[in-house]
Amino acid sequence: MNVLIVDDEAPARDRLRQLLDEDGAHTVVGEAGNGKRALELAAELTPDVVLLDIRMPGLSGIETAHHLNMLDSPPAVIFTTAYDEYAIEAFEASAIGYVLKPVRRERLDQALELAGRLSNSVLGDVARKSGISERRNHVCTRSQGELKLIPVNDVHYFIADQKYVSVFHADGQDLIDDSLKALEEEFGNAFVRIHRGALVSLAAIESLRKTEDGRTQVVLRGGGTDNDEGLMVSRRHLTNVKRRLKKG
Amino acid sequence: MASAPEANDKYSQAYLPDFCAAGTILVILLVAELVAIVLTLASFETSNFLTELSKMSMYLLWLALLGTAVMCRLRPWAEKQGNTQAFVVCFVVLEVMCLLLAEFTYQLTVTFGQAVIIDDTHAGFILRTFAISSIVIALAMRYLYVSSEWRRSIVLEAQARISALQALIRPHFLFNSMNTIASLTRSDPKQAEEAVEDLADLLRANLNASEDRTTLKEELEVAAIYQRIEKLRLGDRLSVRWDVGELPMRALIPSLTIQPLLENAIYHGIELLPDGGEVNVSGKRVDDDLRIDIRNPVAPDQSRKKGGNKMAMANIRQRFELAYGSRATVDVEETDASYSVQLQFPCEEGVV
Repeated sequence: MNVLIVDDEAPARDRLRQLLDEDGAHTVVGEAGNGKRALELAAELTPDVVLLDIRMPGLSGIETAHHLNMLDSPPAVIFTTAYDEYAIEAFEASAIGYVLKPVRRERLDQALELAGRLSNSVLGDVARKSGISERRNHVCTRSQGELKLIPVNDVHYFIADQKYVSVFHADGQDLIDDSLKALEEEFGNAFVRIHRGALVSLAAIESLRKTEDGRTQVVLRGGGTDNDEGLMVSRRHLTNVKRRLKKG
Repeated sequence: MASAPEANDKYSQAYLPDFCAAGTILVILLVAELVAIVLTLASFETSNFLTELSKMSMYLLWLALLGTAVMCRLRPWAEKQGNTQAFVVCFVVLEVMCLLLAEFTYQLTVTFGQAVIIDDTHAGFILRTFAISSIVIALAMRYLYVSSEWRRSIVLEAQARISALQALIRPHFLFNSMNTIASLTRSDPKQAEEAVEDLADLLRANLNASEDRTTLKEELEVAAIYQRIEKLRLGDRLSVRWDVGELPMRALIPSLTIQPLLENAIYHGIELLPDGGEVNVSGKRVDDDLRIDIRNPVAPDQSRKKGGNKMAMANIRQRFELAYGSRATVDVEETDASYSVQLQFPCEEGVV
């Protein structure tokens, strides 16, 4: 199998490479020192398995695994961790492959044998149970097999349109696979639902304004109200939107 | 962020017992009765002991019950005051109550023409009540204070011992270090050897942490060893600037305080920064105190997740409080981009 090693610590990567090289049954196709680099390499090298450290700066292992799932042919993920009592409990409960550092050869072989794909819901479950990171810091979008990470802080709003959800952010507009409901659950403390199909970042809202026909409209910071139909506040959500804006 | 008031609040509750509880009331009545027996025994009127005792008992039980009721009401307020202030106020209130009751009793006996109960002049009776109640109340309060101090010191000591245990190296660090060493044994055996030696020294320092204080020199050495091990793992991402030349190396410091703070700075700060960063450890003399400041940058999205360092911080606070009482402060300064801990404690040199 082709293996991609992801760990922010060089000695930890070396150790995995030593073990895999000696074994001979698997090929190390690449090494990455952080989550972002891991996603690039995974898209480029299409490894079968990713050995993924959990505690990394920037994108955590759990978030990286989430985004890896967005690839056309997502790799199997095996987590490596030194000591995360809760995470390990959560992994065991969800039958997720993991190896403990210092890594033992037999344990690594075993995990590679059993490596399988992880669904997003299982990952979310583990993150919740272990309190590693409740929320992702990025949403992920895909164009021609390439992954693009959009920092959640840069997102202005999400609009659900029939089958897809569009994300409007500082750098433009993209389609993502997440459902609006899942996004609201994950980012609910920073975003507010203004109508059935729109979730707006509280930080991006400048004010509310009444239109001529008596409806209420969201005015975004930087004056982006071009999408006039999209950013109407429905009557059902109006009270809540006002309450959230007051609090924020 | 100041540690002292928090801790005082927690312990002053033990100073006064719950005067509203049945058990306490029973004890007070018992003590009042004992005082009545002592006073009766001490008087020269021994012909009808039981009659005298019953008169005395009745009077003292009145005083005791009323006093308990007053304290029951006064306690919630007194808990919030400083020891001296609470003592003075409780004493004065109880004394005023005793005098009022004495006056009331005297008037009662005069009105009902049974002055036989009180074989004394008006002023004499009031004065005697005042003198005896003052002594008894002062003794009782002194007793309560001493026993609460004793309980408090036991609690503090036990907590300090637990804290010292908790300060032991994070398992996360230990396992990561071993993984690093496992990796180095092949790629760089010499460095692996040094890492094992460093790790052993660090563990030894941890095991000796039961000694409450050590010299700054030793404490800084332990921290430097720790830094070396972490450096192997984190490479260029970690740098530490030591600005401690001004500190007297023979001064004493509670053992394992700088190293855990450095560990926190790395674990919660440097490790979560993609490009790493620099921890600043600086120390200086401020009059008769030493001031040590450990500062680290934090990842922007990390600063919101507060509370991770609470345990280590609580534990260092406790040990500083036990060692120096209110003469030391442990302050935390948190911004979006940095986290810093300032220790200030008296400069004391000694032999360890």
